[in-house]
Amino acid sequence: MFELPVTTIEGPELFVLEFGDIVNYFTVYTAVLFTFALLFTILAIISRPERQVDFAFGGDAFYTKDITPGQFRFQRFMALACGMATLGAMMSGDVFNFTLFCSMVGITNIGIVAAYRNRHVLNAAFQYGIVAMIATVPLFGSAAIILATTGTLSMWELFGPAIAVPLVAKIFLVLGVMGEGMAPFYVAKAEITRAPGAPYVLMIHVSSLLLFLRVVEIVISM
Amino acid sequence: MEGIYAFGLLAVFASIVIGFWALVRENDDLHRILLTDLAEILALALIALVATDLAEALILPGLVVGISELMAISEVFLVREGLVRQPDRMLQIEVMDSAPGLLALALVGYGILLSGFSGGAVAGIGVIFYFVCKGHDERFALLETLSGYAWAMWIVAFFIFMLLPQYWFFGVLIAGAAILLKVAGKMSLVGTMRGGANV
Repeated sequence: MFELPVTTIEGPELFVLEFGDIVNYFTVYTAVLFTFALLFTILAIISRPERQVDFAFGGDAFYTKDITPGQFRFQRFMALACGMATLGAMMSGDVFNFTLFCSMVGITNIGIVAAYRNRHVLNAAFQYGIVAMIATVPLFGSAAIILATTGTLSMWELFGPAIAVPLVAKIFLVLGVMGEGMAPFYVAKAEITRAPGAPYVLMIHVSSLLLFLRVVEIVISM
Repeated sequence: MEGIYAFGLLAVFASIVIGFWALVRENDDLHRILLTDLAEILALALIALVATDLAEALILPGLVVGISELMAISEVFLVREGLVRQPDRMLQIEVMDSAPGLLALALVGYGILLSGFSGGAVAGIGVIFYFVCKGHDERFALLETLSGYAWAMWIVAFFIFMLLPQYWFFGVLIAGAAILLKVAGKMSLVGTMRGGANV
């Protein structure tokens, strides 16, 4: 019943989930991405926070930081929400739903970063939050322009040869996803890489990588 | 029609350029939050330019996402600047000690009579007034329970619409009562927004 018009990039579809006119699907490509996101979400669920060792300068002394799982409850929850949003973005068959999942990834990334009570980390979270918020302008803008010019948001229609998506909408979509998936750059800048809580911070990197991969597929197929 | 759309698009793009230019020039972090909120509205304007029923349906999620991001970064800003403090009782007015019970009762009663969304708003204002005047310790559990029941009623009504369409009137009644509870509960939370131990 549903046939993807372009199968050169992502391979044939494996599974189709139909909600009215919103049709979610897996192809070989997105199924791999989905599995990857699922794997890291499960890792965030089952793993305990890392335990860091600090070495004292000029001697053999070292001490281990005492970290309980309770300290990272909020971060773990945010990492889970981030994983769920990434899963949604991977299997979404509707451009507007994709943009919504992207901005949800952005919000949860702010949450993951902002869980530390450290001024530098909070500063990085704030700057990233501003970028993520501005990025919703091109993100939703692209969806709106696509809807206005082609009359549909469904990827099943947009991927077909009959509909030409304007270039400005594609550029906006890429710009928006770049802004929402910008978190790893801010994380690298912050002291967060030295703060404890390793498995949850990973989710930021995984989600932004997967978002980039998916948006490349969407933009090339359109 | 095409010409109007192109003209509107041009106007929004010009506004986006102006807004981003202002963001680049601004140094004060609080002002930058406010400017990003303004920029967010341009995204809604872009969606609104589509000018169909679908655009109307898309604006709401866009707005919700924008507001939640705004709340997240303003919370980060507050914590970073250390602006979180516990307020003590600010208002001391005689009427606020004597009137709330009766007034809240009248408003909630009238709200139940109105029913639906507007009834929920009226009843909610009654409950806001009560909480503002009387304090709100220990009442969150009640609100949460109420809200949960309203949600469950909504789902039940939804299933009635889907599975037993011939009982639609029953479904409408349940959904109307649920939205009354829901709006009243949500609005009454506004009355408790003064800080405190369990907020």
